[in-house]
Order: sequence, then structure tokens, then C-alpha cells
Amino acid sequence: MSTFRKSLPYILPLILFAMVVKGLHGAFFEAPTEAQMGDVQRIFYFHAPAGIMAFLAFAVTGVASFLYLWRKSLLYDVVAHASAEVGLVFCTIVLVTGPLWARPVWGTWWTWEARLTMTLVLWLIYVSYVLVRGYTDDRDQQARFSAVLGIVGALDIYIVYKSVTWWRGLHPVVLQASGGGGLDPEMRPVFIFCIFVYLMLYACLMAIRVPIGCAEDELARLREALARRRRA
Amino acid sequence: MKDNFGYLFTAYTFIWVLLAVYLGILMGKQRSIRRRIDELSEKLENLPKN
Amino acid sequence: MDLLRKAGAIWMKDLRLEWRTLDSISGMFFFSLLVLVIFNFTFDFTTADFKEIGPGVLWVTFTFAGILSLSHSFVIEKEGDCMQGLLLAPVDPGSIYIGKMLSNLTMMLGVEVILVPLSAVLFNYPIYGKMGSLAAVLGVSTLGFAGVGTLLGALTARTRRGEVLLPLLLFSICVPIIIAAVQTTKVVMRGGPLSDAKEWFMIAAAFDAVFVSASFLTFQFIVEE
Repeated sequence: MSTFRKSLPYILPLILFAMVVKGLHGAFFEAPTEAQMGDVQRIFYFHAPAGIMAFLAFAVTGVASFLYLWRKSLLYDVVAHASAEVGLVFCTIVLVTGPLWARPVWGTWWTWEARLTMTLVLWLIYVSYVLVRGYTDDRDQQARFSAVLGIVGALDIYIVYKSVTWWRGLHPVVLQASGGGGLDPEMRPVFIFCIFVYLMLYACLMAIRVPIGCAEDELARLREALARRRRA
Repeated sequence: MKDNFGYLFTAYTFIWVLLAVYLGILMGKQRSIRRRIDELSEKLENLPKN
Repeated sequence: MDLLRKAGAIWMKDLRLEWRTLDSISGMFFFSLLVLVIFNFTFDFTTADFKEIGPGVLWVTFTFAGILSLSHSFVIEKEGDCMQGLLLAPVDPGSIYIGKMLSNLTMMLGVEVILVPLSAVLFNYPIYGKMGSLAAVLGVSTLGFAGVGTLLGALTARTRRGEVLLPLLLFSICVPIIIAAVQTTKVVMRGGPLSDAKEWFMIAAAFDAVFVSASFLTFQFIVEE
């Protein structure tokens, strides 16, 4: 293994750590205080990017699922599963930090507004994906069923987005340091940077999770081989 | 406005705790699977060749 | 086409099987009736406007009853290994999907066709001029639900705890079609022309197109051994 590959497990976490520190610094010190909501709005910098990554992770699951059904390589299934698990973690972050932001600002823990509702539906689809995997015994069947679910779920997400937005209207959030509408331009750089922080976090978690999935398959193969040898 | 720091603090703490717990679970799984793979590989080596 | 002919045969087989005992559709019907009765106790319909809550009540009832049909549809194929027999016939998995989907659709529509006039009587709501629009709404929405439900029903019939997984999977995935169904039904009940619900109809139609095709294409991966 080249020195580059050997040092990756150390470099990546270091870069991630640096990015997280920079992101936190940006969220707390660089970004301006929101005019109406005050400092509690800073939750946004680690809430919204988590949401974006949760949807991206499921898109990865969808693509990997499709590739599995097409190429039949178990690696795609491992990637799909890993991405679903990591995505579920990010989705949970959104669903917990959202109410923690909503409560002091709008006086209510939960609102059935479009984006929160959609994230809840995504969370439920993620949970069903993980449950289906747990409730199938045969490895091949598990991979096939999850792949079908991954594709159906990924296709669904866009339609859920359209229908829930139609039903409720967009996030009524206007973030500003002074007057105006939309995301205040002073907040934009921190927000964009935090998206990259989450992207890096996703990459690092996948880098740990995918080999675990492959190792599980290797373990199963070894067990099979051992059982076959003993029978012979 | 200032007294909302409780929510802010809880939100960020939750994120890090959740990620730490997840990471801990992953590392634990990694170790146990590695151990079992090593055990089984050894058993496979020690089986009489037929 | 051969595909459609075989699908039709499977559809007819299921209908004939059901016609002999009527146990599935009667179970669905009485269950739906019971749900409607319970809803009557949860809302005060003397003051509440049925036009506003009615669509939601009806669609919750239809979807719950639909779950019964969907799970039953594949459980009967498990007995005696019928699914294996079908695949070895040889029948293309796509035909099995279309046939099963049509039989689920028929069962659900059958229940709906009885329940809608019945609910008009129970909740004292006139539907005379609206039958055509309601029929269109019921058709489009139920197609989406049965379309993806058939795929998920086949999937969960072969997992452990399938009876718990199916509602979870189905309701999560069917959020768009349920919203569209309720919104279009609401527009029709308010007396407006169907064109007022044009966008919701498009969402429902898009859902139908995407998921019936996706289910048709991926069904083979569920039933193959």
C-alpha cells in the first residue's frame, strides 16, 4: 500500500476536525446575529446542511441500489446500506435540531410545514429500508429487496417534495441580519462552508462504514467455507 | 433573546453526542468483526486438509 | 400481447377465486364500515363540515382497507408455493405484476364504489352531480396506491413481520398520492370543477406513471428465487 493510502485514515479525520472547528467558529463568531430570532438561529448552520446531506445520502442509496440490480455486485449493496445508515443519522439530526430551533422562535415544537414534513417522511422511508434489511434472512434476498426499496424510495423523494411543498407552501423562513428577504448574503459563506463540513463528515463515515459491510460479508463467506469443510 | 442559549447549546450537544455514539458503535463493530474473521481464518487453516 | 393476455388470466383467476368465497372483499368492506363508524365518534359531524374532513376520513378508510387486500393478495400465493408454479409456467414476472395489480385495484375500487354513496348517506352529504368527477379521482388515486402496493405487498409477504412492514412502507411511500387524493376529493366535494384540482391531478398522474412503471420493472427482483 502506498504511503498516501496508509496515511489516509489519519489525514481525513484531521481535515474533518479542522473543518468542523472552522465551521463552528463561523457559525458562532463570523456569521451575523439574525435580526428577529437572535442567536438561536445559529442552529441553522448545522441543521440545514444535515438536511441536504440526508437527501444526498439517500440519492446515493438509490443509485447504488440501481447499480446492484444491474451489476449484481454485493459491493453496491454494501454502499447502499452504508449510505442509508449514515443518512439516517443525518436525518435524525435534522428532526431533533429543527424543533429545538422552532420552539424558541415560533413557540411550537413541531409544525407540519413542507420541509420538516418531508424530512420526517424521508426518515420513515430510511427506517423501513433498515427494517427490511433486518427482517430478511437470505443475503441475496436482502440485497435484492433493499435495492428495490432503495430505488422506489429515491424516486419517491422528489415526488414527496413536490406534493408536500404544494400542500403546505415553502419554509416560511426568512433569515436576515438586517432587512431584506431570503438568506442574508453575510450568512451565505458560513452556510456553504458547513455544507462542505457535512460532505466531509459523510465521506469519513462512509469510509468507516463500507469496509465494515464488506467485512461482514467476508465473515459470512468464511463461516460458509468452514461449514463446507467440516461437512466434507 | 439571550435565554435561548439553552436551545442552541442542546442542539449542538445533541449533534456531537449522536455522532460520537454512532462512531463508537461503528468502531466496536469493526473490532468485533475483525476478531471473528481472525478466529475463523485460524480455524480454517488448522482444519485437516482432505 | 402475450404479456397482457397472461396478466389478464391472472387477474381473472384472482377474481374468480374471490367470487367463490367473497371473504376478502367482505372483510375489507366491513372493516371500512367500522372505520367510518369510529370516525363518526371522533368528529362531531353536526358542527364539523363533512366537505372539509370527509376526504381525509374517506381516504384513511380506503387505504387501511387497501392494506388488507394487498397483504392477502400475496399470502394466497405463498400457500402451496403457487408463486413458484406461476413462474415456472412460464409466466413473465411483469405479467404477474400487472395481473395482481389489476386484481388489487378491482378489490379496492369495488369497496370504494360501495362506500362513497354509503358515506354520503351516513354523513348526510349530497353527491348527485359529482359522481363522474369522484369516479375519476378514485380511479387515478387508487391506481397509484395499488400500483406501488402490489410491489410492496409481494416484498413484505416474503419477509419476517411483513404484516407490520407493509403499512410502514406503504404509507411512507404513498404520502404524495394520499395528499393528492385528499386534495382532489376536497375540490370535488366543494362543488368545484375537476380543472380546479389540475395540479393535484398532475401529481397523482405523475405518481401513477412513475411507480407503476418502476414496480413493473423491479417486480422480477422480488419474486425470483
